[in-house]
Amino acid sequence: MVPTSSRRPGASSSPLRWLARSSGNWLPPLLGIGGFLLLWQILSSLQLIALPAPSSLFTEERTRNLILYPFYDRGGLDKGLFWQTMASLSRVAQGYTLAALVGIAVGITIGLKPAINRAFDPLFQFLRMVAPLAWVPIALVLFQNNQPAAIFVIFITAIWPILINTAEGVRQIPQDYRNVALVLQMSNRRFFTKVLIPSALPYIFTGLRISIGLAWLAIIAAEIVMPGTLGIGFFIWDAYQQNYVGEIVLGVIWIGAIGLILDRLMAWLQTRISPGQ
Amino acid sequence: MTTSLVDVRAIDKSFDLRGGGTYLALKGIDLEIHKGEFISLIGHSGCGKSTLLNMIAGLDLPTEGVVLLEGEAVKRPGPDKMVVFQNYSLLPWLTVRENIGLAIDEVMGDLPRAERNAIVQEHIEMVGLGPAADRLPLQLSGGMRQRVAIARALAIRPKLLLLDEPFGALDALTRGNLQEKLMQICNEHELTAVMVTHDVDEAVLLSDRIVMLTNGPGSGIGGILEVDIPRPRARLEVVHHPSYYSLRSEIIYFLNRQKRVKQWRARPHQTVARHGLEKVNLDLGFLPLAASAPLAVAEAHGLFAKHGLDEVQLIREPTWRGIVDGLVDGTLDASLMPAGMPTWMTAGGHGGTPLPIVTSLTLSRNGNGITLGRRLAEQGVRTVDDYRAYLKSHEREPHTMGIVHQASMHNLLLRYWLAANGIDPDKDVHLQALPPAQMLADLKDGSIDGYCVGAPWLDRATRDGHGIAVAGDLAIWPGHPGKVLGVREDWAITYPNTHIALTKALLEACQYCADPAHWAELSELLSDRRYLGIKPELIRFSEASADVERGGPESEAAVPHHLFFGDGLNRPSRTEHLWMMTQMARWGDIPLPRNWVEILERVCQVGVFSTAARELGLEALSYQRQGIALFDGQPFDADDPISYLNAQVIKRDFSIAEIPLAPPRRG
Repeated sequence: MVPTSSRRPGASSSPLRWLARSSGNWLPPLLGIGGFLLLWQILSSLQLIALPAPSSLFTEERTRNLILYPFYDRGGLDKGLFWQTMASLSRVAQGYTLAALVGIAVGITIGLKPAINRAFDPLFQFLRMVAPLAWVPIALVLFQNNQPAAIFVIFITAIWPILINTAEGVRQIPQDYRNVALVLQMSNRRFFTKVLIPSALPYIFTGLRISIGLAWLAIIAAEIVMPGTLGIGFFIWDAYQQNYVGEIVLGVIWIGAIGLILDRLMAWLQTRISPGQ
Repeated sequence: MTTSLVDVRAIDKSFDLRGGGTYLALKGIDLEIHKGEFISLIGHSGCGKSTLLNMIAGLDLPTEGVVLLEGEAVKRPGPDKMVVFQNYSLLPWLTVRENIGLAIDEVMGDLPRAERNAIVQEHIEMVGLGPAADRLPLQLSGGMRQRVAIARALAIRPKLLLLDEPFGALDALTRGNLQEKLMQICNEHELTAVMVTHDVDEAVLLSDRIVMLTNGPGSGIGGILEVDIPRPRARLEVVHHPSYYSLRSEIIYFLNRQKRVKQWRARPHQTVARHGLEKVNLDLGFLPLAASAPLAVAEAHGLFAKHGLDEVQLIREPTWRGIVDGLVDGTLDASLMPAGMPTWMTAGGHGGTPLPIVTSLTLSRNGNGITLGRRLAEQGVRTVDDYRAYLKSHEREPHTMGIVHQASMHNLLLRYWLAANGIDPDKDVHLQALPPAQMLADLKDGSIDGYCVGAPWLDRATRDGHGIAVAGDLAIWPGHPGKVLGVREDWAITYPNTHIALTKALLEACQYCADPAHWAELSELLSDRRYLGIKPELIRFSEASADVERGGPESEAAVPHHLFFGDGLNRPSRTEHLWMMTQMARWGDIPLPRNWVEILERVCQVGVFSTAARELGLEALSYQRQGIALFDGQPFDADDPISYLNAQVIKRDFSIAEIPLAPPRRG
């Protein structure tokens, strides 16, 4: 990441100078990515791998159109990448929100009550180990419908880190804070809002950040096996069926970029909401 | 300070252990805390002082007993007994103002918002944190955070302020400033406070009373010290108060004693019986004195082992008090002790229940003397008559003389000598018990006029030019008993053969010590770090004649005339012990026992001595020593000690009482 730092007083105003000075920050990643693309280009040109070269994303008409016109909409499933992504993201938003609500609530409960924790922990640990793809058939059987099934898969994948981290955060509330609350005879409600939530917040956010990545992984997997749904996952699967290899590559790059943005967004939120911890 | 605010009644606290079973942390704690009082709880780590504080706070409940706050049982924590925790316990996501505000909102939620804000502001100002009021705790130093915690605690106006090592994590400078701040706040608001600390100086500085806790398991209150230093106190000035160092050394003695007991407990303690003896692993107490020579010789020359005592360990104590406590709690099997100590402890002079101590051997005679400081000598005070005149002309100044222990011959001889010369040892001067090794330092800096102590501390002052000797053994009571071997009576009954073997080993050592040919070697031996740890030339056993040439009658009087062995020297003498009892009764240390015949019979184990002497082939020693002759020639009639006491001019109001002793039994 190239820092967009503010200029220090007395620093040169020339952007070129600034770029030159901070070259240690941006040069290595640029060289790394550039080298990777170049190697890919060469290998493709020499026909050593079956993938199209990176340059073909721009030279080939189909992919160039997808890049240049992300907002086109020709009805049905034939829509621009922006709409595909939005469809996927809206599923993620629904499943993830549900996971966050349930995960934090259950996490606080088992964090506060060791007995409940002992009762359910084996179950949670067991369910946590089931891969997202394995949930798909169960989800389809349960809901008989693509849309809720996809949301369920997101939910069941994303909930575990949130739940487990929240519970840990509540358990980790220092005895000192509890003692303060005890000595001041805080009501349960005040303890919850004034001590428990602020204290467990860093843990909760750690869980949320892990989960957003998992949720994004899960939606692609879910869409791939759910034919006829609008979304970036099915877009790739469709491209594969029709042997548009360039589109597959473009889709994969798109997915990675969105995942990265989501993760950074959560990290930024975390620093905003719980500063100094 | 009359009403009791907190009443801790017969509290026990035990914890369940992980592997089953319970650990008894506190046992039988009784403590009353008055309104406006500042109490410190001091003790070693793990002694349960924080647990006790938590129970007063209601954060923890006692297993047995009850804590009363204004007559009501403490069942749960509450703002009326606010705690300042060791690690501050500020909520890191709230600013200074919000942290204090949170407490106010909880406790005084019914006040109008403006009033609450005013209270918060007032307390921020009180601890001097105005400029930092809107900062987060992480942006503050440790000292500032603790000030916030104190402000938060005070803001809610608790009846009782509880502080758990509040300054433990702070640097010395910050700690000092905060201590003064806390003292000032406590004085201004007449707060009642209980503080847990492990810092001796902090406890003395801040407290009205210091509660010392013994080590666990089953910790109890080992003692409570009243701090009589007037308030307001200033940190740099309290050290000049006469009580400061005695309080300080009292606490340090207590803590060291606890450490020693802990070390003792950590060692295995099964009784090892061997060679027909009931116990061969003995812990033998002694003090760094020339009179300890027989113990050192018995160890160095293998005399203990020769008589079957394979595992004797010599334990060096800095003061006689350590010896007394070691015998009381059983960490010592036997000990070198001042001649007066067996009857003194048997009569309960140590302040507990009378503990019968028996002696089978007098280890040394003589070796004591009275020294006056150079400050007095320079003003022409060279004899006791000079000193009496000096006391008259300097009545307003405090006059202190050092002794090693109230039951030691030094005390009895010094008092006898002063009284016989018309000086009241309690009214005209003040006698202070000091560790022997400390006396010279006190004489040097002039905090004592003089002292009566045994070699080698006796003549050090004369040699170094810090004082002059005014009276020695020969001038007071030639051949007076010095140190004896003492054991608990129940110990002696449980291990009778061991007792005889120990007496034999030491009697043989005494014989060795008495030979002038061995004196150079003795000096060398005692200079070892295990015993005295001072230069060999400072430890003398020479006879008077050898030193007269060093100049003047002073040095003749000052030279130690140690007697370790000889006709009638080692056999415990009932007459002498009776004389010592009358002297201790004369000065009010013990009542004169109405059952003195029984006490002498039990204390003086003449039979053990005779058996030991016979088995060593020293029957000739079993000879009754006759009469007691002190310098003033007043006769002592061993059949009528009461008339003797009544005949004394200077004395306290002594009492005569039956000492209730349990019948002799095994330990």
